[in-house]
Amino acid sequence: MSVIEQLNGSSLYLICGGIVLVIAVICVLFLVRAWRAGKALGMDTVRMKRAITSSATFSLLPSVGILLGVLALSGSLGLPWPWLRLSVIGALHYETQVAAAAAEQVGVSLSPDAMTTQAFATIALLMSFCIMWGMVLTTLFNKRYTKRLQKADLTKRSGSGFGDMAMTAMFIGMVSAYLGSYLGDFVSGNGRFTFSGAWTPLAVVAVAALAMAGFTFLAEKKHWEWLDNFSVAGSMLLGMAAAVIIGH
Amino acid sequence: MNQNHSIDTEKYEAYLKSTHRLGRIASVLTLVLLLGAPFLIGNLLGTAPDLGAAARGFVSVGLVWTVSSIVEYLVYTPMLGAGGSYLAFITGNLINMKIPCAMNAREMVGAKAGTPENEVISTLSIATSALVTIVVLAVGVALMIPLSPILESPVLQPAFANVVPALFGAMAYKYYRKDVRLALVPLVVMTLLFMFVPSLTSSTSFMIIPAGAMAIGLSWMRYRKMKKEDGQE
Repeated sequence: MSVIEQLNGSSLYLICGGIVLVIAVICVLFLVRAWRAGKALGMDTVRMKRAITSSATFSLLPSVGILLGVLALSGSLGLPWPWLRLSVIGALHYETQVAAAAAEQVGVSLSPDAMTTQAFATIALLMSFCIMWGMVLTTLFNKRYTKRLQKADLTKRSGSGFGDMAMTAMFIGMVSAYLGSYLGDFVSGNGRFTFSGAWTPLAVVAVAALAMAGFTFLAEKKHWEWLDNFSVAGSMLLGMAAAVIIGH
Repeated sequence: MNQNHSIDTEKYEAYLKSTHRLGRIASVLTLVLLLGAPFLIGNLLGTAPDLGAAARGFVSVGLVWTVSSIVEYLVYTPMLGAGGSYLAFITGNLINMKIPCAMNAREMVGAKAGTPENEVISTLSIATSALVTIVVLAVGVALMIPLSPILESPVLQPAFANVVPALFGAMAYKYYRKDVRLALVPLVVMTLLFMFVPSLTSSTSFMIIPAGAMAIGLSWMRYRKMKKEDGQE
């Protein structure tokens, strides 16, 4: 049995499905409590129903986009684990980056041929560990922080100073490291400056970037805002399709 | 569109108190399940996670996401309220779904930030949104299971082997267009570095640290310059 077949085994579906179910129960609990609290506080149930209906319809398209992300990750990590990660806490760009970093540390690449069971377990652990801080912070500080917010109404603060710029810069740095590695690998991968290294990743980068440009153009200029929900997953799938064409 | 009646403060405080209790229990439970699952799965597969490799992976890429998580927590909690923030950080997909979804619901019913009404509406909105995602993904995965043999076919393997370049291609367009000039410097420096020291490609995730530091440093210099110019005007 291949590693991917093991990662698609029924026991993994049971474990991941069980966790998804627990999270679903938590969501239902919060939903019911908020509904009851709203009624007890004298809120209009029609407006509460509108909030639920609009949120459900609002979430449909992005959820389909997330499903495409599960498909993108399923080839190297099997179906159950990406299903859990993207149902519960993660986001496609985060999951892929962390999985690639973890794979690198165990000496494999994030590809179906290279995957081992230990690499998978390590990748899964790092995926869970790196993104847990939001939950840790809410557990430790939410009570105090929300109380302070109630008093100070910090939501009225305008401008986020250097924070936004730093976040963008951080991601630009991250992307640059990977693009630099693909360019460097092509130029010097088979001997310094031989220009005979792997070029498929560069072609995939180019196709995915072009696809993203297309999605952005249609969303911004043609006002097809709904397309934004599919932009990352759609661009990735087009880039991956290019790899299939190149591979043949 | 504000409600005219007064909100019962005592009832609201009691609701908030129990929300924090439930939120903490739910967060700790989720943490235990998510951190325990890799060990349980590893055990089933006859192996265990390589903790040393996981620690090195955390140093290379996890620190970036830790900073990102702290910023997200500080920025989004005021918008989401207590119940909404517990749920949002458990269920994820904040920027691409939960935040705009909650904002949309809030605007639709005319709830103001920081009010009890906002607390209830954002919790209803995020819980609904998370449940929709859970259902869509469960149905989608159930439909995909029969397709597993196709997904595992050798023809499609180049696609899955290139999932990371595909991600960074999409991300490159998304982030570089925000600041092309800033992007050029780390891109050129990193490319040259990988060209002259090809062995570094096996440590790409570690190179995120100097690349990120370089980009943040340049961004900080520009920010200072902008502030200075604003002060002079």
